[in-house]
Amino acid sequence: MDSVFDELYNNYHQDVFQFLFYMVRNREQAEDLVQEVYIRVFKSYHRFEGKSSEKTWLFSIARNVAIDYFRKQKGWKDKLLERFDWSSSQVKDDDPIPEEITVQKEEIQWVYKCLEYCTADQRAVIIFRFLHDLSISETAEALGWSESKVKTTQHRTLKLIKKQMESLYQKEGLTSEKVRVER
Amino acid sequence: MKKSEWSDREIERLLRQMPIIQDHRNPRDIYDNLSLKKRKMFSWVLPSIATAAALFLFLILGAKLMDRGPFSQLSLDRASDKQPSEQNIVMKKKEDALAIKESLSKPENLKQASKDLLKSAVYEDEVANGKVITYWIPDDQAQNLIPISTIVQDPENKSWLDIFNEKMTELNENKWGLADYYPLNAEFSYDKRNHTLDVNVPADHQYGQGSANELMFMNIIKKDISSNSNVKKVRLFTNGQPGIEFGNTGIKEEFNIEPEKNQAYFFYYPNDHKIPYLVPTTVSFKTIKEAIVAMKKDQPDLGLKKSMLLKLREKDISIRNKTLYVSMEKNSRINNDQFTLFSFEALLLTAKEFGIEKVVIKNPPSKQIGPFELTKENKVPIAPNLRKIK
Repeated sequence: MDSVFDELYNNYHQDVFQFLFYMVRNREQAEDLVQEVYIRVFKSYHRFEGKSSEKTWLFSIARNVAIDYFRKQKGWKDKLLERFDWSSSQVKDDDPIPEEITVQKEEIQWVYKCLEYCTADQRAVIIFRFLHDLSISETAEALGWSESKVKTTQHRTLKLIKKQMESLYQKEGLTSEKVRVER
Repeated sequence: MKKSEWSDREIERLLRQMPIIQDHRNPRDIYDNLSLKKRKMFSWVLPSIATAAALFLFLILGAKLMDRGPFSQLSLDRASDKQPSEQNIVMKKKEDALAIKESLSKPENLKQASKDLLKSAVYEDEVANGKVITYWIPDDQAQNLIPISTIVQDPENKSWLDIFNEKMTELNENKWGLADYYPLNAEFSYDKRNHTLDVNVPADHQYGQGSANELMFMNIIKKDISSNSNVKKVRLFTNGQPGIEFGNTGIKEEFNIEPEKNQAYFFYYPNDHKIPYLVPTTVSFKTIKEAIVAMKKDQPDLGLKKSMLLKLREKDISIRNKTLYVSMEKNSRINNDQFTLFSFEALLLTAKEFGIEKVVIKNPPSKQIGPFELTKENKVPIAPNLRKIK
């Protein structure tokens, strides 16, 4: 096996995979996309200048791969429909929740559902910051943004998730909480 | 505690509790998949290069093939019409034809002067022992009927009708840019006793469907017969029974053939062909002078283009002893090119329509157009638009 691949795999594979999984919310798709990340990395590895850390560099490639995937997903038909059907962008809860999430407690499942209402960039910020524990500056590096943009996006996204959680709560109620109330 | 109120901190905490997701695949598999993908990309590149190359070749060859308009066909046909004893001439003609074909491949070259211009009609000296048969074939839009003539060598001395019936199956209308109309779904036979030509169609014939269809069928019969024979009367039969039923006209049993006279010949270009056919109008003119004046302008209704490129003096047109005398405007020129030659042939064919046998230009500014010597009188052709039928 390629030594570069070995090194990348050992150091970053699971991180990149997890990031892609939460971005596209589908294991098979994440598996395909992580391959694409490797291909792009190999193509441009010689151009990696070490200005940023290897990790943020890999994350930035993974994020670009995910964005490209979303663009491809949106064929011209969807783009057209989207123009006339605003409700479709509001409600899109048809993806099945992956097994890894369904075994978690209900609140976690809800957070996962709410992440769907975020844009790709918002989701990337949240995943980098809270799932991968990147700092604000690392996140900014991976996204090629300013730190203040990361901060405001993070703030807005948390607000959005909170709002979605509340509306979910009003719709469905939290069974675990009911249990708690009965006690 | 009211659970509907989460703080930012709580959301962050929940996010941090999201499960860790791992890729359980073997790294070796992932690596193998990668090299597979790399190879796949490569295997996709080669065929696309091959496709591009094939398309490129196709375009080049296609363009070459397209350039072979009816004229190149005609020139080669005419070359092969000659007897084998004239082998050398045939070879020379073929070379000439090729040269012309090349010079004609671009329309602007058509105006170039060339020694090796070719006539399009059939002339007396070319027929030798052959027989000339003319078929009237509709164009693609079924607007005009184009007379196409062919010379048939006939050692058995068959009647014109036998040759007509025989060769009708071999017409190559599509190659000529015309509509596929022949062979007619009808039998032609000559009734010697009554001097009539009998046309018998099968019961399931389509010629009666639609007024344009039936008119065209009758026109083609009339023109085919009057161009090739002196028969004056046609009787119609369906499956041996008298009469053919036409949707609009009703049942028609017979009609007379009156040769159409005094028509003017125009240029007609089938779809994008660069070489025109010489085609007569459906209307007749009182005098040849009127016909010549009309030939100076396009007939857009019928898709016919002006055929009179010679600057003839309208005031000086006269006929004596079946010879037409015309003169050119002062200081006008006659180009020695293919279109001028076609234009001169249009004049000859139109003259023939008025019963004229020879044409003289009284003050020719140059001695010849291709094979036509302008200092002498020129005989009118036997038939227009010579094409070879295999």
